[in-house]
Amino acid sequence: MVELLLLSRLQFAITVAFHFLFVPLTLGLALLVAGMETVYYRNKAETWRRMADFWGGIFKINFAIGLVTGLAMTFQFGTNWGAYAEFMGDVFGPPLAFEALLAFFLEGTFFGAWIFLNRSHQKLKAFSMWMVALGTNMSALWIITANGFMQNPVGYEMAADGSKVVMTDFFALLTNSYVWYMLVHTLLAAYLLTSFLVMGICAYHFLKRNNSEVFKRSFSIAVAIALATAVMLPVLGHGYAQYVTELQPAKGAAMDAIWETGSREPLYLIQVPDPSTGSNSIQLLGIPGLASFLYTGSFSGTITGLNQLPQDEIPPVGIVFWSFRLMVALGSLFIIEAIAGLYLQKSGKLYTSDKYLKLLIWSIPLPYIAIIAGWIVAEVGRQPWIVYGLLKTAKGVSSVPTENVLLSIVIISALYLILTVFEIYIIKKTVVNATGVE
Amino acid sequence: MFDFLTRDMLAIIWFFLWCVIWGVYFALDSFSLGAGLLAPFIATDKVQRIQIQKAVGPFWGGNEVWLILAAGGTFAAFPLVFSKMFTFLYLPMMLLLIGLIARGISVEYLHKDENPQIQKIFTWGWFAGSLLTSLVLGVAFANLFKGLEIASGGVYKGNLPGLFSPYALIGGILFVLMSVTSGALWINFKTEGTIAAKAGDLAKKSCLIVFALALVYLAYSFIGIEGFTTNYSALPALYLLPVLAIVAAALAIFFVKKDRGFLAFCSNLLVLLFVVQSGLASIYPYMLKSSISLEYGIDIFEAAASHMSLSVMLAGALVFVPIVIIYQLWVYTLFREKIKETDQVDY
Ligand code: HDD
Ligand code: HEM
Ligand code: HEM
Repeated sequence: MVELLLLSRLQFAITVAFHFLFVPLTLGLALLVAGMETVYYRNKAETWRRMADFWGGIFKINFAIGLVTGLAMTFQFGTNWGAYAEFMGDVFGPPLAFEALLAFFLEGTFFGAWIFLNRSHQKLKAFSMWMVALGTNMSALWIITANGFMQNPVGYEMAADGSKVVMTDFFALLTNSYVWYMLVHTLLAAYLLTSFLVMGICAYHFLKRNNSEVFKRSFSIAVAIALATAVMLPVLGHGYAQYVTELQPAKGAAMDAIWETGSREPLYLIQVPDPSTGSNSIQLLGIPGLASFLYTGSFSGTITGLNQLPQDEIPPVGIVFWSFRLMVALGSLFIIEAIAGLYLQKSGKLYTSDKYLKLLIWSIPLPYIAIIAGWIVAEVGRQPWIVYGLLKTAKGVSSVPTENVLLSIVIISALYLILTVFEIYIIKKTVVNATGVE
Repeated sequence: MFDFLTRDMLAIIWFFLWCVIWGVYFALDSFSLGAGLLAPFIATDKVQRIQIQKAVGPFWGGNEVWLILAAGGTFAAFPLVFSKMFTFLYLPMMLLLIGLIARGISVEYLHKDENPQIQKIFTWGWFAGSLLTSLVLGVAFANLFKGLEIASGGVYKGNLPGLFSPYALIGGILFVLMSVTSGALWINFKTEGTIAAKAGDLAKKSCLIVFALALVYLAYSFIGIEGFTTNYSALPALYLLPVLAIVAAALAIFFVKKDRGFLAFCSNLLVLLFVVQSGLASIYPYMLKSSISLEYGIDIFEAAASHMSLSVMLAGALVFVPIVIIYQLWVYTLFREKIKETDQVDY
């Protein structure tokens, strides 16, 4: 039973993390390419057509994998999380069905139209891409509505026999504040990821001294988006952290490994939590009251420590703590990189700043890491609950033979690995060959 | 919302919609699956392969969403069925998933690389994915019609080999062949040149086999499957469904002979639709019929979601399904031109 649970969790974590390697780029590039298609429709300038072609080419490669890996997610709620599906079906089902109806049909149908329409139908082509962008971004709204309920259940009542939740207010599901914190944060993160990928690819070409208009323009759009989103993420993330701490005190305390209840909690720049002793083995360079301020909004605010919370309801502290630190550290780095990029571009030194350009190439994977880390904070931090306060993860799993789950993990992981390698190979080829763009 | 309807009435409406959604999915996806099944055999060079790819490229993604809607709709309207069906059929579902992934990736990546070896791999990946998808779905639905080995207390006694009974195998093969026929007729209708002629010839033969096999399958259902006729005896009008399936199969043969490709294609889609509906009509009110004893099955009233949930979704479906249908049809008209050998823009 323990193994079954562990394997099912492992499988879920692998497949969802993999799905989310592709989704953020889809969310961002769809909007970017739609914008380029529209500008080209308006001004008929070659540069813009080339931009739409080039970034659209990368979009196509990425979208295909996002699509097929999403199927795996839907299936898994039945195959591996059957008990959860029964418990949550009344609330989870409708957002998922609406996602298919409102979002997937749009993106699935118009993706095909956009690819195959040629430039003599530029207006329709641009329109199709806008529909794809609308569909993908709406898809995020619906799935996060479902996830928001799991984090903060609203608009429901328990069935008389306690076996499942019953929806009482659909509107409450949609206006759940958790959904909106999460949606905005996730979309911003997706746009940030997209802009760093665009900047990285442009940097590659600048290093090759291919300063074509296509990449110059793309860079200036991307750097502006990067800066805006990089600044907004911590600003809004700070409010998000406060909100989460209020709702899920154990997650909040785990994010900063605060063991004992207290007010004016300092934030330690260097800190190593040790769950076995219920304290930090190292804590250095504390900034007085900052942790209290970050998690409660006031320097003298009280934070409930992990040791004062019910011990069977706290998440794995180490994982949550390090993931959160990683996300925040990377978030700070992104701001610096974006400011530097903007400065170098305005001062005209960008195309010769080889060190910075190399840094940008190496930075392409970083937002991916930050995003997965953020999801780990959100999802592992919610443990042991699968639906917060209502259902424990251990109770959600399907009773299927353990070997079946093991088999499926092996097969799916192998398949996904091949896909990733091939995708990277194709994207790399697309990028390198684009030297001939101009 | 919909307060004049009881939860049980809503459950019946949703069962009806569920049948329609599956029917639409089977019909629509059959031609993209069929194209994949045929691609490695009838396309002799890259030119022809691209023609096939372009014949389905703009549509397959939107078609597949009907499957996601069917799965998501099951989850939403009948959570218990969703959970049980996917749990019981764990391995078949994984096979289906692998099939769908292989198909999706192969269609999109077929010509992303110039290397002929890679193109070959994806052509076969497209074939294998399409085969796995249509075969598993055919076998799974035959098993739903026949009933799964569900014992008392909802305990599943079946295993993987047990799912491949002769009846289920016929179902699986029938679905594969119906898809092949759809694919051939679609290629014949959408393209010009050698490939269109080849596909047309093939359709002439496969139509006949589909007719024969559909007849066998339906006869087997009525004679050999326990409890299949119960609903038919209660409501004889239902006999129209299998009759229409056979009539459509005959019409397909007729239209192929007359070289009316498009009408033949439509007739073949109707075969799919009515074969599926004939089976689904037999299991009501069960969604998961038990082959051990009827009472162990899971029926729609037990499985249905709450009144609130069902009515919110009904409202959503009534508004958005028509909108979806309209823009999907519009996309079909957008790409109504036949694909020539000469328009070889890669994608
Ligand atoms: C590029 C990615 C990225 C960056 C730079 C940041 N985040 Fe983030 N964060 C995410 C990407 C992300 C995410 C992956 O998108 C998550 C997972 C769930 C969610 O809503 O967004 C997330 C979750 C998440 C959570 C967990 C919420 C929960 O449990 O539901 C908090 C508290 C923060 N973030 C706060 C921050 C702060 C204070 C940041 C300051 C630098 C920050 N994030 C930067
Ligand atoms: C796409 C971004 C997401 C990522 C990277 C992610 C990641 C994770 C991880 C790592 C776990 C494992 C936690 C643990 O077992 O300790 C988990 C659990 C879970 N998540 Fe998510 N999640 C994401 C989005 C979602 C969404 C949108 C939903 C539902 C709508 C969801 C539903 C679940 C469920 C049901 C579990 C419990 C199963 C488990 O513990 O493994 N996740 N997620
Ligand atoms: C864990 C639960 C999830 C499930 C069940 C799920 C399901 C799916 C499915 C079935 C598809 C394919 C749609 C198609 O064929 O057009 C898909 C694609 C997509 N999903 Fe998810 N998804 C999950 C998590 C997420 C999350 C957390 C987000 C965003 C915040 C997201 C955003 C998207 C987007 C934008 C696409 C289309 C993008 C592409 O193809 O790259 N999904 N998802």
